[in-house]
Amino acid sequence: MEQNHVACNGGDRDEIRPVVRLEGISKSFGPVKANNNITLNIRPTRIKALLGENGAGKSTLMSILAGKSRPDSGRICVDGLPVQFRSPKDALSAGIGMVYQHFMLVEAMSVAQNILLGQESGIINPRGMGRRVRELAARYGLDVNPDAIIRDLSMGERQRVEILKLLYRDCRVLIFDEPTAVLTPPEIAQLFDALRRMAVDGRAIVFISHKMKEVLDLANEVEILRRGEIVDSFLREDVPDERELAARMIGRSPEPVIELVPVEKGEELLRLENARCEKVDGVSFSLRRGEVLAVAGVAGNGQKELVEMLTGRREPAGGVLNILGRDWKGFFHTPVRQKDGLVYIPEDRKGLATCPTLNLIDNFVLTNRLSFLNGPFMDWKRGEAATREAIKEFNVHPPDPMVPAGSLSGGNLQKLVIAREFYRKPKLIVAENPTQGLDISAMEEVWRRILAVREHAGILLVTSDLTEAMTLADTFAVMYGGRFIDVFPRTDTAKVEAIGLMLAGIKPGEKLDNKEAEA
Amino acid sequence: MTGFRVVGRDAPLPLGWKSIAILLTTLAFAFFVCSMLLLVQNKSPWTAFMLLLEGGFGGPYPLEDTLLKTIPLFLCSIGVSIAFRMKIWNIGAEGQFALGGVGATAAVLLLPPGSPVWLMLPAMMLGAALAGGLWGFLPGMLKLRFGLNEIISTLMLNYIGIELMRYLVYGPWKDPSGMGFPMTAMFPPAATFPCLFGRTHAGILLCIVVALTLVLFLGRTRLGFELRAAGENPRNARYARIRYGFLLVFVLTLSGALAGLAGCVEVSATFNRLQPNLCTGYGYTAIVVAWLSRLRISSIAFFSFFLAGLKVGVENLQMELQVPAAFGGILEGFILLCVLAGQFFHHYRLVRISAQQEEETA
Repeated sequence: MEQNHVACNGGDRDEIRPVVRLEGISKSFGPVKANNNITLNIRPTRIKALLGENGAGKSTLMSILAGKSRPDSGRICVDGLPVQFRSPKDALSAGIGMVYQHFMLVEAMSVAQNILLGQESGIINPRGMGRRVRELAARYGLDVNPDAIIRDLSMGERQRVEILKLLYRDCRVLIFDEPTAVLTPPEIAQLFDALRRMAVDGRAIVFISHKMKEVLDLANEVEILRRGEIVDSFLREDVPDERELAARMIGRSPEPVIELVPVEKGEELLRLENARCEKVDGVSFSLRRGEVLAVAGVAGNGQKELVEMLTGRREPAGGVLNILGRDWKGFFHTPVRQKDGLVYIPEDRKGLATCPTLNLIDNFVLTNRLSFLNGPFMDWKRGEAATREAIKEFNVHPPDPMVPAGSLSGGNLQKLVIAREFYRKPKLIVAENPTQGLDISAMEEVWRRILAVREHAGILLVTSDLTEAMTLADTFAVMYGGRFIDVFPRTDTAKVEAIGLMLAGIKPGEKLDNKEAEA
Repeated sequence: MTGFRVVGRDAPLPLGWKSIAILLTTLAFAFFVCSMLLLVQNKSPWTAFMLLLEGGFGGPYPLEDTLLKTIPLFLCSIGVSIAFRMKIWNIGAEGQFALGGVGATAAVLLLPPGSPVWLMLPAMMLGAALAGGLWGFLPGMLKLRFGLNEIISTLMLNYIGIELMRYLVYGPWKDPSGMGFPMTAMFPPAATFPCLFGRTHAGILLCIVVALTLVLFLGRTRLGFELRAAGENPRNARYARIRYGFLLVFVLTLSGALAGLAGCVEVSATFNRLQPNLCTGYGYTAIVVAWLSRLRISSIAFFSFFLAGLKVGVENLQMELQVPAAFGGILEGFILLCVLAGQFFHHYRLVRISAQQEEETA
């Protein structure tokens, strides 16, 4: 560490000196500002919650702090001195460790071996280590058998191993990315207990969440991120209940830039009656031509599974699914036809919707391949012509059909995907967070395209962005815990006002259980 | 602490002078270590090196030898690589190759001995492709139906295939007038691939036809396009509703059929009969070729030729220098290992670490 750097000044009135301070952190991916000039103090003995919608930049910020990625500008100070992390190893040796959503454990090895991995002390003392692991486990109530093989452990136990790894390395700052996503309720209680004990011991805890109840249960401090910026930051005491917290998280939504002109509704395209599958617990609705039905909800409440079921990748466990006049089996267990009329615009544009190393023509033709057949042969001439036309019409940059799809920015890739899926003149569109990670102009363009296609299609829009739902939807459905809390038209302003509450699983009119909120 | 850090490349190194430089450097390293091994046995490394080079590539006769070995290796490699393209690890080319020999021989034995060439050769190729294809179809179905790992099943089928071939030449197909040697009777002239020039036979035309057909298939047909896309990303294939299960079985069958064709070339043009030493490791070398060439057809041709030359050269070195046969195998194996290890630098590069300087990872 160089001494000629100016020491970071706390510049605040809090009595506890921050152990880590992030100063003016910015990070962009192409035109998208994932983090924009973020300043954050992390103090020992405090539990901080980072709250925000999907794609708000929480994970990016924390991966910068954990040394996994580097900021474009800004600096990180540890104990008042600026540092640079080249890798997670650097962050670890500064005492900052992260537990990711997907655990990084060697499944075939024992708990003790996993904790030992990556130790650099040279000489290994298995017995002493076992003793220390047991001590740490007992101290924080993270009971796990050091000799157990990871493969045999539950998700909660695996998470405890990840935590022990960090504690064994004496981390002072522990970061958790949605730690409760994979846990059962008793495991959640145990985890929270352990986290509180760590804070009492003088460690700093940061956790990413979008579950408001958890934040109220656990956090001392709350920071709210929206579109890459910290828009609000307050203490737990300042918010009495979930209602207030939800209001602060959503903020005042910006005026929709697009005016929604309803089109006439046509025939029914999709009908679900008490449809069930894993994580979806009886969902019923009907979608008609000319209608946009927005399924709003915080990620992880069954939307992913619902979409997988509707797009044929997950078999329903029960209930009625009628897709364009056919039942689920009849629709998905027959060979694909060009006129099927169902298209899916997935959230994962790079891994699912496109092949990054193939060029734009290949990618455009991919799902439209039946339109470009000439016997068993592909008609690449027509394919290229159609791709060029789509690129021009949808304003895809660069306008060169020969570049690999992976070289496109997220917004341009999404425009290509939409151009491709709309090429087939679909009757039913399932779109999943279609504007996530896009900048404002690309977002507006995608919205316009979706509205324009209503003339001949019905759209199921699954989104965790309320602004998007407000802009596009005729009908809202709020999903929580695998169910639709309510389905109502946009004209029902009372209910629209209460969406924030429903996102937290509370039906308007129901009295908020104060005991639950305080616990 | 070392002074270097390994940094991943954004994209694998394209074919160019850099990749050639890496190949040459790894070869030089391999020869250096081999020289040490030769010095221990009091053999001159220089002589050995010259013998290797001359044996494989020095002059028309050695080059022809190399070319003859290139043909079956190329066909096997093309087969293996088409499965690899879908990330299906067919390492059963050796067994499929043996079955190809069996299939071709069965065609010869079934047809009347006086059959004309235009009937005999196509029948042999068909038999070989069917038998080799069956040996690919089986692991394909096993994977599709029972989720059996194709690496295990194709490997195991190698042993079954080779033993089946040996059973036939030791038993029912043994030449009654062959003085007890385990081999079939000599094939009639119509069952031999005709020579085009010198000893080079029509198998090379087969290679060209196969390569061109494959380019056409992958680039122009719906199935070929689906295969390219599915190989890129299986999740994407499901998204685009590509019939992944069908493709899986199809690709393994095709892969087996191509290795089978190589077996046909060997029994027809090289041995003129089926005999137990048919399998000399083309099927395994093909895996190395497919890997080195990164599944590009032109590179497969190059590396098939290169590895065939290495094989011929090492044989020459071993005979002329009077080193044990196992030592020849060690040299060949070590050179291959080095070339494969050199591939590391296609995906990673070393960056010198300087303490204070904020280095660029882009």
